[in-house]
Amino acid sequence: MTAETLETPAIRPAAVEVHDVHKWYGAHRVLDGIDLTVQPGEVTVILGPSGSGKSTLLRVINHLEKPEIGYVSVNGELIGVRRHGERLKELSERAILAQRSRIGFVFHNFNLFPHLTVMDNVAAAPVATRKLTRPEAQELARELLGRVGLGDKTDAYPRQLSGGQQQRVAIARALALRPGIILFDEPTSALDPELVGEVLEVIKDLATSGTTLVIVTHEIGFAREVADRVVFIDGGRIVEQGPPAEALDNPRHERTRDFLSKVL
Amino acid sequence: MPTHFSRRSLLRGITAATAVATLATGLTACGGDSDAATTTDAAATGTVTVGQLSNRAAQQAELKVSEVKSISAELPESVRKSGKLVIGVGALPDGFPPLAYVGSDQKTLTGAEPDFGRLVAAVLGLQPELKNSTWENMFVGIDSGKVDVAFSNITDTEERKRKYDFASYRKDNVGFEVLKSSTWNFDGDYENLAGKTVAVDNGTNQEKILLEWQAKLKKEGKKLTVKHFASKNSTYLALTGGKIDAYFAANPGVAYHITQTAKSPNPTRSAGTFSGAGATLQGLIAATTKKDSGIAKPVTDAINHLIKNGQYAKWLAAWNLSNEAVEKAEVNPPGLPLDNS
Amino acid sequence: MSERPGSAVSSGSAPPAEAIPRPEPSSAVLHTAPRSQGPAEETEGSGGDAQTRLLSAQRVLPLRRPGRWIATAVVLVLVAQIGHGLLTNPFYQWDRFQYWFLRPVILDGLVITLEVTAYSAVLGLLGGILIALGRLSGSPVLRAVSWVYTWLFRSIPLIVVLIFLYNFSALYKTLSIGVPFGPAFFTFDESRLATDIVVAVVGLSLNEAAYAAEVVRAGILSVDQGQHEAAAALGLPKRYQFARIVFPQALRSITPNYVNQLIGLIKGTSLVFYVSLLDLFGSVQTMGSTYPGDIVPLLLVATVWYLILTSAVSVVQFYVERHFARGATRTLPPTPLQKLRTGLRERARKEAAV
Repeated sequence: MTAETLETPAIRPAAVEVHDVHKWYGAHRVLDGIDLTVQPGEVTVILGPSGSGKSTLLRVINHLEKPEIGYVSVNGELIGVRRHGERLKELSERAILAQRSRIGFVFHNFNLFPHLTVMDNVAAAPVATRKLTRPEAQELARELLGRVGLGDKTDAYPRQLSGGQQQRVAIARALALRPGIILFDEPTSALDPELVGEVLEVIKDLATSGTTLVIVTHEIGFAREVADRVVFIDGGRIVEQGPPAEALDNPRHERTRDFLSKVL
Repeated sequence: MPTHFSRRSLLRGITAATAVATLATGLTACGGDSDAATTTDAAATGTVTVGQLSNRAAQQAELKVSEVKSISAELPESVRKSGKLVIGVGALPDGFPPLAYVGSDQKTLTGAEPDFGRLVAAVLGLQPELKNSTWENMFVGIDSGKVDVAFSNITDTEERKRKYDFASYRKDNVGFEVLKSSTWNFDGDYENLAGKTVAVDNGTNQEKILLEWQAKLKKEGKKLTVKHFASKNSTYLALTGGKIDAYFAANPGVAYHITQTAKSPNPTRSAGTFSGAGATLQGLIAATTKKDSGIAKPVTDAINHLIKNGQYAKWLAAWNLSNEAVEKAEVNPPGLPLDNS
Repeated sequence: MSERPGSAVSSGSAPPAEAIPRPEPSSAVLHTAPRSQGPAEETEGSGGDAQTRLLSAQRVLPLRRPGRWIATAVVLVLVAQIGHGLLTNPFYQWDRFQYWFLRPVILDGLVITLEVTAYSAVLGLLGGILIALGRLSGSPVLRAVSWVYTWLFRSIPLIVVLIFLYNFSALYKTLSIGVPFGPAFFTFDESRLATDIVVAVVGLSLNEAAYAAEVVRAGILSVDQGQHEAAAALGLPKRYQFARIVFPQALRSITPNYVNQLIGLIKGTSLVFYVSLLDLFGSVQTMGSTYPGDIVPLLLVATVWYLILTSAVSVVQFYVERHFARGATRTLPPTPLQKLRTGLRERARKEAAV
């Protein structure tokens, strides 16, 4: 793996660096020149109206979507591409998959594997990517499931669980690869209101443990509580960013105020 | 039919096939040796058993036949060298007893036609090898050279002559089969067919005759309905079910069917026979070979040899087909004309 | 369980009716018109409250369905008539049926049917998976070739495929392995390789693969896009994604469709007489011509064997589907044995309660 230093060499590379990323579907510009840097251990919450491009930004970070222009690096490593002289060249599928295994991703609709037990859902990836042996992976899975409060559900199938439980399994599944960074795509949007709390609790735990998190969410209260920084996106551009105290309580931009007034 | 025995796994099937093929080469070599033996001993005689496993359709008989060097010398080099005569029979999936069918041991191909093929092979000094297939595949087999000659109740027609050479060996007699409960009789007069529904097999001599009668009746303002069925079995089901009044078919088959159904809930009887000669031309059954393959001539000579030496008559008698005897075999005699009008 | 609403009520929401004291007048009200009368009683006062409470304590009387009973009776009579006719009509010649049912010639045919079906089903499915993957691949050439294959083999009658293959040696005398358009390393005499059963299996598999491809493709498409994304996001290797995540889920919808194909295939083997191979039906036809008096019992023999084969396949299908239903539904459907056991237990409980 060629970890490349970027234009602004720091002593420790940024956890995530998004550099002038453009993405469009046909004539529709989804991302229109995004620049974003996330420091290691930082918790970043991305807010914005629906259709503003926040989910797409998240998916660009682990290369589920390819940027048309610009690039992304995670912990100093270019994602999905490598440098070839003055050009960027697409990486092989295998290499991209290997990169993804170092980036956790949690979906809004969980996307657990319904035909595998909770245990196998969590233990599958470390074994398949040859990081752990099967017994090791199962041991790790048991530990992680205990951590998200589901130590007694290892043999259940996902559909036998509530939405909140499923999302907690999904988080354990993402953690099983021991990623340096975890991306959350609206992790509570598909949950019944009374189940939101248990999931946020788990994420909060992660936030305090020093893991780098990038979270797309609509839970403003939660953002205020855990975020080191709030990023507000609209129309594929970053409109405003800063610590929650500034960005949420004292927004400078008209569109941010407009959005917050609707959500709060 | 060796096909019945090929019951093994695919892989084993392939290896076994290779083994069989190797064996076959070995056998051919042996055949070559015995050929050499017969050349030194010109009087070597063999026996051909006819009428085996006939399910009461024939009287089994042992016929003495020996190779005639002057005739076998006419064979094309390749056939003589191979030492075997591949005889095509088109009796799949359902046979046409007593001419070609699976015998009473319920696995061996028997019948008047394969028996005659064996007799001819004996005269030619060749080992007979029967190849049973569907009617279509029999012809494709001749085209591709898999089959040397077909003995399968094939009628000599001008249409077929474009691609095949014939050696005629039997007359074509036809008859009507009706339910025993039916009161209808043909009485040698086609006028009796007015208002009837009669089944006939596609592309046969009797079909041509029947269609002629149909046309004649139409001119007189009378109606004869002609039906075709996919197989003999479905024709007979239609007959027992009363869907057709009569089945107009080759007489040996009719005779066989009548004896076989005598004890069944729906017995049948003959309602009259008719010469396959029709009004104008005698229909002939002929051994069929690929055009210009050079096999038709020695086969014809072999048949004439069998006629002259009496085995021919004994073979027909064994199968109760004596009334279908021809005086002599011919290469490509006039066949049923091209236009079917 | 929806089949036993009564028992669900008795064991779950309401206590057994027998345990409730039943005063005469209230039960009389219940029997006449429980729903419309209830609230009216209540407004009239005296004892209305007690009565509604009693109403809620009673088991709901199931609706009487006389129409259904009459229909059932009619159907039973018809079934009995058909059965009687089948057994007594001399047309079917059951004594001859008995003679033929286990004849070696029939069993030989049955073995051919089973053998050809088994090989073709497996090879056809494998081929179908490859073609389906081709159709879903990113390469336009692979997509086009797979599409053409499916189009072609779904269009050509199976009979034509079999006849062509059977006479393949007339077209190509030898097959060889080597550099395309270049020198050959191994050369086979085609007619030696192609035993009848090989030709039959190849022909049926070619045909089967075209249909299986569509079944498999439909199955793969039925798997939620989120599953592909989740697998990709976890960085699972491509092969693992297909073999362990997507395909097992696709099998749930592939199974019933492919079993349909399979049953068609079992009967489709009756065409193998075109390659001079006699399967069950071919044997029946051959024997039908040698023993024309037995055509009907012979056809019945074939029918009964096909019934047995189809039933066996259906049983296997049930358990295979049950296996792949793990996780897809909250509870698995009960096996017939389990149904029987719970049914008996239920009944015992009811009887004990009465």
